[in-house]
Amino acid sequence: MIKVQSLSHDFEIGRKGNKTIIPMLRDISFEVKQGEIVTIVGRSGSGKSTLLNLISGFIHPKEGEILINNKNVTKLSETKFADFRIEHIGFIFQSFQLIPSMTAFQNVELPLILKGVNEADRKKTTEEILTTVGLIDYKDHYPGELSGGQQQRVSIARALIVNPPVILADEPTGSLDSETEQELLQFIKNLNMELGITFLIITHDQRVAEIGNRTIELRDGRIYSPELSTKQEVLL
Amino acid sequence: MKLKDQFLFVQQNMKKNRTRVFMTILATAMACAFLIVLASVGFGLHKSIIKETTEQRIVTQIDVHGKEEGDGAYRPLTEKDIEALENLDNVKAVVRRQALFQEGSYKIGEYGSWAQTYVTHIPSEIKAGFELSAGALPEKENEIIVGYDFANSLVSENAKEEDMYDEKGVLNEKYKYQGDLVGKELTFTAKQWIDGEEKKKDISVIVAGIGKKPTREWVMDQNVFISQETLKEIEAFTGTPRGMMNDPNSGAQQVTDTDNHTFEEVKVYARNLEAVEGVTEKLEEQNYASYSVVSELKQINMIFTIVKAGLILIGTIAILIASIGIYNTMTMAVTERAPDIGIMKAIGANPRTIKNIFLLESSYIGLIGALIGTVVSYVISFAVNFAIPMIIQSAFGEELPEGLMFSHIPFILPLICIIICYIVTILSGLRPAQRATKIDVLKAMRREI
Repeated sequence: MIKVQSLSHDFEIGRKGNKTIIPMLRDISFEVKQGEIVTIVGRSGSGKSTLLNLISGFIHPKEGEILINNKNVTKLSETKFADFRIEHIGFIFQSFQLIPSMTAFQNVELPLILKGVNEADRKKTTEEILTTVGLIDYKDHYPGELSGGQQQRVSIARALIVNPPVILADEPTGSLDSETEQELLQFIKNLNMELGITFLIITHDQRVAEIGNRTIELRDGRIYSPELSTKQEVLL
Repeated sequence: MKLKDQFLFVQQNMKKNRTRVFMTILATAMACAFLIVLASVGFGLHKSIIKETTEQRIVTQIDVHGKEEGDGAYRPLTEKDIEALENLDNVKAVVRRQALFQEGSYKIGEYGSWAQTYVTHIPSEIKAGFELSAGALPEKENEIIVGYDFANSLVSENAKEEDMYDEKGVLNEKYKYQGDLVGKELTFTAKQWIDGEEKKKDISVIVAGIGKKPTREWVMDQNVFISQETLKEIEAFTGTPRGMMNDPNSGAQQVTDTDNHTFEEVKVYARNLEAVEGVTEKLEEQNYASYSVVSELKQINMIFTIVKAGLILIGTIAILIASIGIYNTMTMAVTERAPDIGIMKAIGANPRTIKNIFLLESSYIGLIGALIGTVVSYVISFAVNFAIPMIIQSAFGEELPEGLMFSHIPFILPLICIIICYIVTILSGLRPAQRATKIDVLKAMRREI
């Protein structure tokens, strides 16, 4: 489903003539199979968010290749990646990233609007998905009127609405209390089991990491997995 | 993303910043109203002058004054020329008149008048649109046709100078001829200087018909049309062509040649207005000196086209100034909505869609402004046409010509304004829209923009 090959990335800071290159990721290779939940863990600055942003196409890698659904997305233009993203990838963000001036219904409906789905189908699908995440009674509420857990469920509903084969989640429970966190993790597990959706979750929380079929640990921009004795065993 | 959804999106966004959007629309509307009202003055005056020009004369009429000879001089037209003119394509009639060079003194009983007297070709006059209000066309040699206002010019010889006219300068009713003229006998008095003495000869003519009332109220038709035979009788007495008087005191060479068949007044009538230009060109090709309303209209149109273009250009400057407001509004909208744009891009919004949304918003502001401006300009135009003549009349005591239009807004003017406004707003929204497409997703989601 997701194949990362020899991925390396640096950040350049400073102005022309006085640039400093900060290495972020070095020679990262791994694969996520369909229906898997894979978690990527690591300390702050280990490069896990950079890795997710590279897979999402928000930044382009300096070296290496990324394949999603057997399509090499490494060198896709911004426009083509946008078209690919809306069809194949759902996103869940730590801070939910809901548009505050839109109701829960409108936020969830947004990807369908961008896809050009007609109004009747949009309404039906959005109501179904809001029912699935248990928020149909809150559909006319604005994000500011919902709790953190509810907002994250709206965010999940928005990610699910285009029926993507893979969902990328960046610290999905980072803004939630422990009780809500457990509810959400259970919800993700259920989605994975019932709908077969592949999840790639970035987290620094051990409890979140535990829901994954596999965990990849990043240290200083490289894959490090002590429980698997060698890096090669992690690489598939 | 469908256009309808983009449109709804734009409406939602505009609602969020009602005041700012309203002020921008207001500025655009004012600029558009300024452009339309300014240009409407050019259109209004143009229309008034065209109306005035076309009303003063028959639009299909072409005056032919003479034919150029090789040396650059013009000679009067002859029967041969008339024949050539009649053979031109799209010519309906060629009216030719020979003027009588006499005072034109007519009398009926105690009433007398002086009238310009012509010999004309009646069939051509009828073809050109001449009609009678009473009587019939002349059949006998001594029959004449008089103009509609001829009767009003007959004044009693008993009229006293002190009460001949009333306060308004109109001839007193009691001195006016009150009877019917058709069938009545008039006496025409021909004059000539013979052997240093002024001799007179009375010639009796009968009124066969009276011409139709001129279509323009201000035109007075007091002309008299006599027959060729009557002219010959006059010429036989005067011994000169068209009764020309040989005044011994003038010192000019005495004219005696009576075999002169030239025409003083020749008017060519084209079949319709569209044919006038073609006929005029043909006349010019054949060295005829001609003048038609089309020649005058051409000059008027050229001058007013330049004036109108200039006024539209000045008005466009106002729209350009308003476009700065649109640019500012759109730039602020992009900045304020950067996080939302980031989220939209993150979930798969195409940069082209983002650009379209902002372009749609700027053009929407421009179009609403243009439409409001158009409505306002129609109101202003109506008010100007209503109020300015009243103001001028009360302030200067002068009455303006009837039908004078200070402001006229033809359909094309708002259309030009809307097109200019649309282009300007698209251009002013282009840069902010491009900026929106370049927003960095990660920075926007971290609220770093």
